[in-house]
Amino acid sequence: MLEVKNVTVKFDTAMVLDDANLKINKGELVGLVGPNGAGKTTLLRAIAGLIKWQKEVTRGTRNANVTFEGTVEFEGERIDKLSAHEIARRGLALCPERGRPFVEMTVKDNLLAGGFLCKSSDEIKNNLVKVYELFPRLKERENQVSGTLSGGERQMLCIGRALMHQPKLLLVDEPSSGLAPKLKEDLFKRIEDIFKELGVTILLAEQDISFAFSLSSRSYVMSRGHIISQGTAKELLADETIRKTYLGL
Amino acid sequence: MIRRLLKDFQGDVVAIPGRLLALLFFLVLIIIPVITTDSYLLRTLAFANIFAIFAVSWDLLSGYTGQINFGHALFFGVAAYTSALLNLKLGLPPWATIPIGALASVVAGVVVCLPALRLRGPYLSLVTLAFPLILLGIIFAFTDFTGGELGVSGIARISNSRVTDFYISFAVMFVSVMIMWKLTDAKSALVRTGIIFHAIREDEIAARASGINTIRYKMLAFAVGGFFAGIAGAFHAHFMRIAGPANLDLFLSFQVIIWTVFGGITSIYGPVVGVFIMYPLMEFLRVLPEIRMMIFAAIVVVILLFMPEGIAVFIRDKMERQCPRCKLSNVWWRKTCRACSANLR
Ligand SMILES: Nc1ncnc2c1ncn2[C@@H]1O[C@H](COP(=O)(O)OP(=O)(O)O)[C@@H](O)[C@H]1O
Ligand SMILES: [Mg+2]
Repeated sequence: MLEVKNVTVKFDTAMVLDDANLKINKGELVGLVGPNGAGKTTLLRAIAGLIKWQKEVTRGTRNANVTFEGTVEFEGERIDKLSAHEIARRGLALCPERGRPFVEMTVKDNLLAGGFLCKSSDEIKNNLVKVYELFPRLKERENQVSGTLSGGERQMLCIGRALMHQPKLLLVDEPSSGLAPKLKEDLFKRIEDIFKELGVTILLAEQDISFAFSLSSRSYVMSRGHIISQGTAKELLADETIRKTYLGL
Repeated sequence: MIRRLLKDFQGDVVAIPGRLLALLFFLVLIIIPVITTDSYLLRTLAFANIFAIFAVSWDLLSGYTGQINFGHALFFGVAAYTSALLNLKLGLPPWATIPIGALASVVAGVVVCLPALRLRGPYLSLVTLAFPLILLGIIFAFTDFTGGELGVSGIARISNSRVTDFYISFAVMFVSVMIMWKLTDAKSALVRTGIIFHAIREDEIAARASGINTIRYKMLAFAVGGFFAGIAGAFHAHFMRIAGPANLDLFLSFQVIIWTVFGGITSIYGPVVGVFIMYPLMEFLRVLPEIRMMIFAAIVVVILLFMPEGIAVFIRDKMERQCPRCKLSNVWWRKTCRACSANLR
């Protein structure tokens, strides 16, 4: 479904992604683990077309000089030359790092904004019902301004917003960062629901290795811009160097 | 059908003090010519109508999408000159020159938009500031055609009566403001631009990740903002019977910002209130030319000190209480919500 080939991202001279390769099949839940600064966010942004955009809007400024090479294929089509909104239209949704809700909007308006790509108002309504079923908490908070939500609710909202246009592939960037253990567990159950019940293929970037491994069928391990290894949780944990050096277990 | 409309009217207008007040405001404007035909007053109010359209168009572009435009007079001036020249040189009547003038401003909007797409914050504002200055330079370079300092004068009147002029300006203002209100209303079932503008203003990255083509919608905001500013500029030219460099002046660009911020930015009704307070006040203060600007500045400073969100928003917040449960607006004296009877205190 998704194939990332030789993707390299440089900010100025800093190599943030070095020749990354990754492949996800339909119906998989794949983990992407690695310590802070490994390049997980950058990889997800590259797939979603945001690095290309960053390159365009910073042209001519001090922060210019973004290099983005390699190819990204989604359902057999090259998407690395497309804009972020065109990629989203093809059914690839990104729930960005820290969620990025529209903080001055109510929960419901956030979700409606996420439903921009829906063809009809019925479709929006149906998707809204689905999201509320998945996260009843959001229904309760429907009219609350999202800037006043708790960290967990905010993540739910942003995952919900990404689901509003019924993506085929969902990229989630560290949904659990900064959440209490109990909340984390809840959130991961919901992600499992999205995968199993809604049938969405998922790429989950996570620092919490135990959760990432328990959810995903296989994972990629990243470190300093490289994809070091990939395999099932068992395989990865069996490898002594990976376990000690990269996973810190 | 009529009963349903009446019921909607009762629910959406009469029950919400802000809307009721807006309705009263429009009604008062409609009957003013019946009470008095004082030509100075009618002329002042007609110009207030025009400037209200102008200010709301700035609010739509800058308040709603966050593209702070320091050169909004460009759109006003482009339409003023276009319609004036079309009228004078080609003899086109006002009903043709005004829409064509507004379309010229749409083109100007798209032109300004092109560099604006890549710029943000103060950089964007500075670039928008430059456009009217460039156009002024062109106007002064081709004085034979543009009249230079004197402008293009002697163009056709809209009508021969002050009352008709007033009613036309009122009708155009009413329709324009309603359209812009609907375009920016996030709750609107008709169009989704309100919510999209809001999303772009808050977080362009998240908006793009949600599939919103932010470039197209920014362009739309510039085009629509330009169009209505152009409507205002073209009408202004025909009312004044002149289009001149003052229509492109920096002062006009800043005035529209002051009116809007004074009334309440990102609200649509704010700029209308701002214009209808400040513009007549400034006109009547012409009897005290020495201290006119000082009073103007003092009022703005004092109001913004005590009502930082603008006077209209301040008053509305005092009059209406939002239900914490269903977010419906209620009159301030109600103890419980009119829809869900939740406690409001
Ligand atoms: N816009 C940018 N400019 C320069 N460096 C960046 C930029 N974005 C990310 N980086 C750097 O890239 C590296 C990887 O970041 P990131 O992808 O956010 O890692 P992760 O999500 O795995 O924590 C970090 O060292 C970070 O400082
Ligand atoms: Mg990250």
